[in-house]
Amino acid sequence: MRACLIPLLFAGCLGLTVRAAEGVRIIVRTTLDGKPVADAVVSATPLDHPVPTPGPGNTAEIEQKNQEFSPYVTVIQVGGKVIFPNHDTVQHHIYSLSKPKRFEIPLYQAGASESVVFDRPGIVAIGCNIHDWMVAYIAVVPTPFFAKTDDTGAATLPSLSPGRYRLEIWHPRAAAPVVQEISSAPENATVLEVKVALKPDKRIRRAPTGKGTDY
Amino acid sequence: MKPGRLQFRRFRTRLVCLLLGLVAAMLGTVYLLISSANERNAIEHIDQNLKIGARLFQKNLDERIDYLSGSAKVMSNDYQIRKLIMQDPLDRETLRSNLDSYADRLRFNAKALPPVITLFSPEREILALSIRNQRLDREHLGPFQDLIRLAADADMEKASGYSYLGGKLHVLVVVPLYAPYPNIAGWFGLAYPIDQAFADSIKNTTLLELTFASNAAEPDHRILSSTLPPRTAHEILALRPTGNNAAGTSQIVLLQGEPYVTLFQPLDLLEEAPATIALQRSLHTELAPARALEKTVLGISLAALAAAALAAVWIARGVSQPLLQLAAHTKVVATGDYTKPITLPRTDEFGQLATAFNQMTAGLAERDRVRDLLGKVVSPEIATQLLRSDLQLGGEEREVTILFCDLRNFTGMSEQMNPIDVLSLLNRYLDRMSTIIERHGGVIDKYIGDAIMALFGAPVSDPAAPGKAIAAAREMARALQGLNREFATEGRPTLAFGIGINTARVVAGNMGSRTRLNYTVIGDGVNLASRLESLTKDPAYDTPIIISEATLRSLLNPPLVRELGEVQVKGKAAAVKIYALGAKGESQPPYPVS
Repeated sequence: MRACLIPLLFAGCLGLTVRAAEGVRIIVRTTLDGKPVADAVVSATPLDHPVPTPGPGNTAEIEQKNQEFSPYVTVIQVGGKVIFPNHDTVQHHIYSLSKPKRFEIPLYQAGASESVVFDRPGIVAIGCNIHDWMVAYIAVVPTPFFAKTDDTGAATLPSLSPGRYRLEIWHPRAAAPVVQEISSAPENATVLEVKVALKPDKRIRRAPTGKGTDY
Repeated sequence: MKPGRLQFRRFRTRLVCLLLGLVAAMLGTVYLLISSANERNAIEHIDQNLKIGARLFQKNLDERIDYLSGSAKVMSNDYQIRKLIMQDPLDRETLRSNLDSYADRLRFNAKALPPVITLFSPEREILALSIRNQRLDREHLGPFQDLIRLAADADMEKASGYSYLGGKLHVLVVVPLYAPYPNIAGWFGLAYPIDQAFADSIKNTTLLELTFASNAAEPDHRILSSTLPPRTAHEILALRPTGNNAAGTSQIVLLQGEPYVTLFQPLDLLEEAPATIALQRSLHTELAPARALEKTVLGISLAALAAAALAAVWIARGVSQPLLQLAAHTKVVATGDYTKPITLPRTDEFGQLATAFNQMTAGLAERDRVRDLLGKVVSPEIATQLLRSDLQLGGEEREVTILFCDLRNFTGMSEQMNPIDVLSLLNRYLDRMSTIIERHGGVIDKYIGDAIMALFGAPVSDPAAPGKAIAAAREMARALQGLNREFATEGRPTLAFGIGINTARVVAGNMGSRTRLNYTVIGDGVNLASRLESLTKDPAYDTPIIISEATLRSLLNPPLVRELGEVQVKGKAAAVKIYALGAKGESQPPYPVS
């Protein structure tokens, strides 16, 4: 199952050292054809010193627009809050049955906004009881050092203080998260390339409605 | 009659047997042909139906799978279910009761049992179980877990299979609970029993018998359910000890002595040896309409046979009856009874035969009558000769002994008597003499008034003819004495005769006109005999019987004779010697010499 980051296997662990001062740049590509992978979550959990407590900015927003969640993937640190504003013309009924956070936001009107606090690490898949095709993922990570890849498959972690980190890369279509151990040192390389195996995209295709999204 | 070989003495029996045999053979052949064709067609028809039945069975199962998976899909998107699963801790009792209400909604039809509905966590842990009307326990749910593992590994949105649940055969479906798609938040497992009701529903549509049996390799080899009576179904277990018959070909098996065309199909089970589905139809049931028809055909055949029997008897009687009648009548005719004609009032060949027979009988009667009359008019020998040979003019030359016998002075005597007395006297005399002549083999040629002309050696030649003529003459002489004594006592006048006998080659044959013939002899020899008779009138010879030299020479044992001298015969150069029988006075003078 791809829904959980906690019982990670440290398989294929590499003692990579990265330069901490400028932040770590990571490029995620598919194992199959090396194409860049967007929306991959990259997180680094310090192993040598305690995890910094999240600051007041530990919030994210997932809006509902055009009967879709946006963004598709959101990352927050444990204890963070996600706001769900409804920018649509219809009502939504957000829910999740994922173990780290089971919740629902019963039917709420357009223009309203609700928020949920995620207090346990893990992957939370959210859907809408009214619109079966709506799906979004919230990666709740136990570290403030995380990033999400862009369309080029690149993500940049904030500068890491020297030490060992557990680097974890997850994607909604990843069969399993990729976990590596890295060391942060000022003199080392800054770009790290990681390959993940992706399963076929199984999201429900919406019939084009004219004002629908581009997929 | 020899055993093993039928022989019929009577033509009628033979004809009846032949006709009946032919008709029976024909009807029998037709009946057997119809019967075997019916059976062949029935087997073929059942075979086709079994294959259709097998497909229908599979289609039914597929429909149930689709129905269950479709239902599970709807269920998984149901808000209440999600809300219940969301709760922490899980309210299992409420969840179960929710599944129960689903189970009631998902009955396949009013009569069908509600399906088994289970809910598993993504880790295949049982969350809730609805087992309405099913004897199921949690430990029976292994097949669901196997199926979920299969579906999860292959990333399938639905998986189905067959397995035992609590010992009963079920079709199983597992469908993931997506929350949201494609995140699997749990698994629905639905199962529907493949049981008696299922078998019955297939039977309702296909009229086929359905039996499910567990694998023969299992220790508990048993009938799972069947549309057949239990005892009959049980025999199926014994039929397939290996459970490995060629699939797709039907076979005929006997259950409780009744033939069933059977198609065995394996039903692959999850993690277990395949079960067996037996699709069957009784050959008897399939053949019932045909058998009814065959019975009608048999009835018609028997009726036809009976009609043929009657017809045969009638025809045979038509043939044999007149034959018997003719045969019986032939016997009557053979006894000489020509009085009754045979009466066959018909126009066919038998009628013609009867007519011909009657004509023949009439002909025979006529011939007999003619022969009788002929025998009276001419002597029997001549009559026979006349009847035997073609009656034609002309004759043959042969040696004949001619005897002439003439009464003396009969003309003068008859003038003094009335004619009736004369005729009576004459007939009595002629009858007596004729009898003697015939007894000695002589033939009366003709009566010439009171004279008798008799032939010996004609028409049947006889070397002893001259002797017979002599013997006859002697007896005639003695008979005349006897007759004269009778006449004397009656007061009638006595008679005297003279006899001349000559033997000569003469012409014998039928003489006369074409319409009227006489068998007689002509020639000088005849005249000589007549002449010799005349000579007896001469007292100088003193004998009533004179024979010629030719006759004497012809005798095998010449008697004692007395030569009388020679006489000149008219038209002959040489004189003819004549003799009297015996010495002089041997015979009394036949008449008083006047």
